[in-house]
Amino acid sequence: MTAPPLLAAEKLSRTLPGDPPVILVDEADLKIEPGKFTAIVGPSGCGKSSLLYLLGLIDRPTGGRLLLQGQDVTPLSGDARAQIRLERFGFVFQFHFLLPEFNALENVMMPIRRLARLTLPQAEARARELLGFMGLEDKALKSPDKLSGGERQRVAIARALANDPPLVLGDEPTGNLDSVNSARVVDLFRRLAHEQDRAVVCVTHDPGIAELADVRVSMLDGRVSEVRQQG
Amino acid sequence: MFARLSLLLHIAAKHLLMRQRQTLVAVSGVAVGVGFFLAVSAMMIGSQTDFVKTLIDAAPHIIISDELRSPPPQPGLRAYGSKGAVELHGYKVRSEVRGIKDWQQILREIDAMPGAIGSPSLSGAVTLRLGGRDEAMAVIGIDPTIESRVSTISDKLRSGRLIDLERIQGGVIIGEDQAQRLGLGMGDIVAATSARGGTRSLRIVGLFKKGQQLGSGSGYMLLREAQSLLARPFVINRIGIKLADPYAAEDVAKGLEARHGYKAESWQERSADFLGLLLTRNVIMYSVVSAILLVASFGIYTAVSNSVADKRRDIAILRSMGFSEGDLQLVFVVEGLALALAGIVAGWLLGFLLMSVLGSLEFSIQGEVRRLPLDRSTRQYLIAATASLIAGVIAAWLPARKASRVDPVDILRGAV
Repeated sequence: MTAPPLLAAEKLSRTLPGDPPVILVDEADLKIEPGKFTAIVGPSGCGKSSLLYLLGLIDRPTGGRLLLQGQDVTPLSGDARAQIRLERFGFVFQFHFLLPEFNALENVMMPIRRLARLTLPQAEARARELLGFMGLEDKALKSPDKLSGGERQRVAIARALANDPPLVLGDEPTGNLDSVNSARVVDLFRRLAHEQDRAVVCVTHDPGIAELADVRVSMLDGRVSEVRQQG
Repeated sequence: MFARLSLLLHIAAKHLLMRQRQTLVAVSGVAVGVGFFLAVSAMMIGSQTDFVKTLIDAAPHIIISDELRSPPPQPGLRAYGSKGAVELHGYKVRSEVRGIKDWQQILREIDAMPGAIGSPSLSGAVTLRLGGRDEAMAVIGIDPTIESRVSTISDKLRSGRLIDLERIQGGVIIGEDQAQRLGLGMGDIVAATSARGGTRSLRIVGLFKKGQQLGSGSGYMLLREAQSLLARPFVINRIGIKLADPYAAEDVAKGLEARHGYKAESWQERSADFLGLLLTRNVIMYSVVSAILLVASFGIYTAVSNSVADKRRDIAILRSMGFSEGDLQLVFVVEGLALALAGIVAGWLLGFLLMSVLGSLEFSIQGEVRRLPLDRSTRQYLIAATASLIAGVIAAWLPARKASRVDPVDILRGAV
């Protein structure tokens, strides 16, 4: 018997109440494996971001189940879901979403301090190490508005990796970047999957990124229309 | 737990520091509220204490008189009862000898209480007669050394001393007003006739100030001489008691009355109407100053509310990062708490300054220079702090609850 996948969606659905109800995600079946870079693609409004929020435990499904290493996390309380996000998930969004009052280092330290498993100096060392990995060691004490778009996004990725999560989720992480920075981020994501054995899931409408993914999930009208293993 | 709290405090502090103007407005609101609460309550409580002190000092704390709250049952009724088939009418009412019996024993009992002093006195009506002019006067026989320790009548003398009563045969102290009406001055002699017909010559050895309760129709004499003038030797009909703790008067009076049967009236009972008035005054004061504090907390509500509205994006990102609803609620409650605390400290300072200014004001009342009586007890500082803290936390908690309910999906989706 093989180990269960990191994350498995079984007939996962999300419907907005209304008349008629709006179906965002319709019975999606999907398996997310560690060491793989998965891209979710599809036309805008097809429900790919909605699916990502469901997979990332930010949103609650209205139907189906979501299994995290075989455990059904659908019925968990808000606090338990927050704890899972804190310990095991890292998010990167289209906009960097750094906290403007804090400098780069403090932003990266935020999830580490919230988890509170490291002392403050340890947390700072860990955050500096991550910023170094992102090539930003000299920008640690800069506030977000003094950083370029690419730098901000890399700080955001460092923050997503702060608690060493097995799953990294990206919602159009390159959507706001030029081609150079965009390529850099995609390369980073591939390394996270291949070198560090994390599961990386990325929503994108950029066909170039989708080409570089190990698994390409296509969506149409809220349904998963195709799952293709690449490379 | 501590690490988490310090992180949330850090976030809250950054929010406040980034919004200095809002923070300043909210803090000054609380400060003004606390400051004026302190100033107003200091004046109200100060004047009340002053007033109550006057009430307490106006007369002995407890006065035992030879009156009974209800007349004793007549011997006939006692013998036959009122339940039987016999109903009695027209029986001869036994006349009681007025005066407090076994007053020595009551006095001994009072003196046994720590810090308590009892002063026996006899009062009765006499008529002062001078040159065809009659003036009614209530004569009060006292022991000057004891009485001066029980009441403040010595302070009310315009001229003469209480102790002079012992030195001068037939000495009397009367009110300035009455002396004026009779055309009498210090050292003059006046004839006094009691209701039982005894007449004696009295010499004025002291005068009470005008405008005092004693001023118009009371005269103080030596107890012995009053007993002889009123032809009631060895009788007293009033015991004035001073207690170490004036506020115990009500209970002590009840005890004395229960044991001895004579009416024992405490100063509280005597001034029930004034005390009722003070209660109303306090209710008014506390509702006004509470309103001040409440309005101040609106500032906190607005500040925290705006902070929540401004930080919806940050709330969403923190939630996605794994911060719980409770975390975010706490961040904003802490912001309100910090505003309240800063406001309280500033308000204490403001209140202290206001009190110093009020305390330095001088008023002239009938030629006497007076200052406002102020109550500067720490209790008021604590009440103001507690009330604003509670109001502040509630004011912050309402918008903070909204912060915790922000759905990150709405914000994240909307931003894309």
